[in-house]
Amino acid sequence: MTAGQDGRAFLVLDGLTRRFSGRPAVDGVSLSIPEGEFFTIVGPSGSGKSTLIRMLAGLERPDAGRILLRGADITAMPANRRPTCMVFQSLALFSHRSVGENIAFALKMRGVDAATRRARALELMELVRLPADYLDRPVTQCSGGERQRVALARALASDPEILFFDEPLSAIDYRLRKILEMEMKDLHARTGKTFLYITHSLEEAMVMSDRIAIMRAGRIVQIGPPREIYARPNSRFVAEFMGEVNVFAVRGGRIEGLDRPAAAQSGFLILRPEALRPLGPADHADVSFPARIETGYLLGSRSQLHLSALGRRLVAELPGAAAAELRPGQEGRWGFDLADAVVTPE
Amino acid sequence: MGARAGRAVAAVWLGVVVTLIYLPMLSVLLASLANTRYMRFPHRVWTLDAYREALFGVGQADTLRLHQTSLAIALAVVVLAVAIAVFGALAFARARWRGRGLFRTLVMLPIFFPQPVLGLALLLALTAAGITPDWRTAVFAHLVWIAPIVTLVISIRLYGYDAAQEEAAFDLGATRLQVFREVTLPALAPGIVSGALFGFLLSWSNLPLSVFTTGADTTLPEWLFSRTATNYSPLVPAVAVIATAASAVIVAAVAVIWRLAGPRRG
Repeated sequence: MTAGQDGRAFLVLDGLTRRFSGRPAVDGVSLSIPEGEFFTIVGPSGSGKSTLIRMLAGLERPDAGRILLRGADITAMPANRRPTCMVFQSLALFSHRSVGENIAFALKMRGVDAATRRARALELMELVRLPADYLDRPVTQCSGGERQRVALARALASDPEILFFDEPLSAIDYRLRKILEMEMKDLHARTGKTFLYITHSLEEAMVMSDRIAIMRAGRIVQIGPPREIYARPNSRFVAEFMGEVNVFAVRGGRIEGLDRPAAAQSGFLILRPEALRPLGPADHADVSFPARIETGYLLGSRSQLHLSALGRRLVAELPGAAAAELRPGQEGRWGFDLADAVVTPE
Repeated sequence: MGARAGRAVAAVWLGVVVTLIYLPMLSVLLASLANTRYMRFPHRVWTLDAYREALFGVGQADTLRLHQTSLAIALAVVVLAVAIAVFGALAFARARWRGRGLFRTLVMLPIFFPQPVLGLALLLALTAAGITPDWRTAVFAHLVWIAPIVTLVISIRLYGYDAAQEEAAFDLGATRLQVFREVTLPALAPGIVSGALFGFLLSWSNLPLSVFTTGADTTLPEWLFSRTATNYSPLVPAVAVIATAASAVIVAAVAVIWRLAGPRRG
């Protein structure tokens, strides 16, 4: 990867802020993204992630802060002059044009001749694995996955430095989404371009990203590689984003409900469902307690169990085989090791 | 058996409705083929005299002038109404701004005004302003009523249209002008064509506004009305048939051009 003087100074956001009728939607976001990274911003709806990416694309003007690309200030540069391209949530394909015309649109705007446009469109269609005979097909006749590929090819046509993605997979069914996630990751590897992706699904982000930023109420609350976000969430908010977790309050240096000392004065002890396990007579765990299985669900390769223990409800997840003999109503000893739990300050 | 009877009733009903709609139009055609001032059927003499008079007779210049006046008004109305309506529709169906609701109400209000009242009001206003009415003031009067309708027709197109397409085009390097030409206009095109056709026909056939605002100029509907009231002859239905044929030719021509020019604009 050919980075500038410093690989980390490829795209820099410096105190980026946008207010809507006085209220900040994006509140002083600073980030540095190296060239070629697949960077994903994850947040619930209303967290400001869409506004943030629209400012980066040049479709929204920041009230404060700067955007630097390779050290050059592009804050005031309009979208049509920025060397970046966006794949929209609705895809925003030109509905009255063919697949080829959609893909080559950026080239047409630059005055590239029809023959060259056609050749380039075919090249891009091969890159995103669209059959060549789709060239003259109206986009309205394409399936969901095909439309997705058209949108990707269209965004790549002008050879942008950065590709932005505004939740393009959010309206797609699970199976196709899984396929497209893999294709996206593959495309990122093959093009070597910087991808900046936003989604409300941390699971989707985990699959594709080099690094993830979690956004909440206009601010970035945690940044790191997927493994770190999963293993070391720095807040209850981040931990709960991935799915169901067991949360124990920490007050006065003790874990409530377990009556044990905690590594912090206050905050939360976060326990992922897979950290809980049933204990045999000879098994040992840092924390153990009697529990009763209330309900169980099969999630394909895993099973989710709801336990009542310690005067509350706990969620556990076990591999399918391990859960095979466990039935609702069974009572037994369960436990976990403190090394598998995380204490967060908030 | 019930279903069959139901279908038979429906067929008869359809026949009655179609007859009621088209028979009067047919009777105009039949009346134009007579040579008597009084409508009596069947004619004793079938003749094309009325057409001969309309197209080549002594009064020829006058009847051709009617078509010219009506056509000039209708074309001017279409061009201006479409220009106003495209931007009006964009302003109220798309852009979000304070006062949008009021703007929409104000634009739409003239449609609900009784046309004779609107015509009278405009005539009074013109007189007060010291403007002598002629066909150009009629263009203005028609616009007051027709531009809102064309706006409505075009804005219906905008509701089913993903405005992110414009942002996407801008993001892909198009200038604002290119965005309008390459994305907005093609998306609006079907609305513009139907709006223009609609506007043309509404102006071409308008009587209540024209009566008040054409001054010394006379449009087709005005002439048909006054000649039927006071000085009827088969010339009247003959001119009516010619006018209908002319507007049918124009509508058909637009439809054919549209079909040939834009199969992929759908």
